[in-house]
Amino acid sequence: MYEAVHAHPDGDATVARHAATAARYGYDGVVVRTRDALAPAGEGGESERGGADDGPPAAAALREEYGVDVVDAVEIDVADATSASGAVGNYRSERTVVCLAGGDDGLNRFAVEDPRVDVLARPMDGPGDVNHVLAKAARDNAVHVEFDLGPLLRSSGGRRVRALADLRKLREIVTYYDAPHVVSANARSHLALRAPRELVAAAEAVGFDPEWVRDGLRAWGAIAARNRERRSEAFIEPGVRRGRYEEER
Amino acid sequence: MKHLPKHLRPRWRYLAVGIETWPDADLGRRAFQRALWYAAGNLIGDAGSADADLTLLSFMHGDGTGEAVVKVRHGHVAEARAAIACVSEVDGDPVGIHVRGISGTVRACEERYMRRAGANSTQRDVAFGDAERPAVVREDACDVWVGSGYVGAAAFDIE
Repeated sequence: MYEAVHAHPDGDATVARHAATAARYGYDGVVVRTRDALAPAGEGGESERGGADDGPPAAAALREEYGVDVVDAVEIDVADATSASGAVGNYRSERTVVCLAGGDDGLNRFAVEDPRVDVLARPMDGPGDVNHVLAKAARDNAVHVEFDLGPLLRSSGGRRVRALADLRKLREIVTYYDAPHVVSANARSHLALRAPRELVAAAEAVGFDPEWVRDGLRAWGAIAARNRERRSEAFIEPGVRRGRYEEER
Repeated sequence: MKHLPKHLRPRWRYLAVGIETWPDADLGRRAFQRALWYAAGNLIGDAGSADADLTLLSFMHGDGTGEAVVKVRHGHVAEARAAIACVSEVDGDPVGIHVRGISGTVRACEERYMRRAGANSTQRDVAFGDAERPAVVREDACDVWVGSGYVGAAAFDIE
């Protein structure tokens, strides 16, 4: 199971600390949503950006050190669909996982209709909403809808009630149309991380199916594996791979 | 009062809970117990809290790390685990919390999951980002003071 985190400088813990904590909690990997925290995997790691912020540690070295997979991702947080389109085009080729922060009807709509986006993050944030049209589009374009358990774990009172009501509505729509989903606690520091069993128990207490939540945590890993395969040299198009018999001409 | 016959005594499970905070946080036993019961009350309601019990049996905290044993009624461990996951801060200090394991007796719980000897932490300056900064180093973990607050780093970041 994987968890997607916000790392320093966006959050309060570095990628290494997140990875160490996730390893202790029993995760198989972490997806780093913060663009500046980790060098893109495709570009030779640390040589890409040595100077700024002491050169973010390369994902491979972290994997070696802590025994958890570290996935380079980006969370695009822009004001409108036009700029989102440009950002998705820029980051798709260099990042393994591309998330787009929703929370606005236009952005939600854009994200689910673009197959280059892997995850629509926090679609119910702020004024954002999801309906059957978006759920169908998400299913057809294999865009995973994120279920943000952060408010369940960290807020209280009316804010939490509204967040839980939104989660329930989203769950009903997404499960009805069988759109792909991911689950995350949106941790901004290692202190906000929770072990998979705790996340599942908390989600079960507010009406989620435990196995469905586990699927949502595994989906991060599945997305990363699929995109890594697509970016590997042997991949030509879905179903077509460069075989052993290729000859130089 | 006379002891209950054995088949009527409530059966308990003991949860070993690991706690992590920033090094300047000072958690008290009462504050942690209150946070635990509040979290349970808010998530599973009064009825659920009464079922789960969630009494703190032992508590230790210092230097940004701690551990506790929580008593839970047998058969309500899932709810208790959910309530524990929802403890996000104690008296305004954010806490990381994690159920290390569950036992049927307090003794087994302590022997198997408690580390007792508190981790040694040292205060020294480390190279983080582009500057030397004061930090609290504890085993692999390293909490770096960056002026406005702590940043959680690991030995990997400061080598």
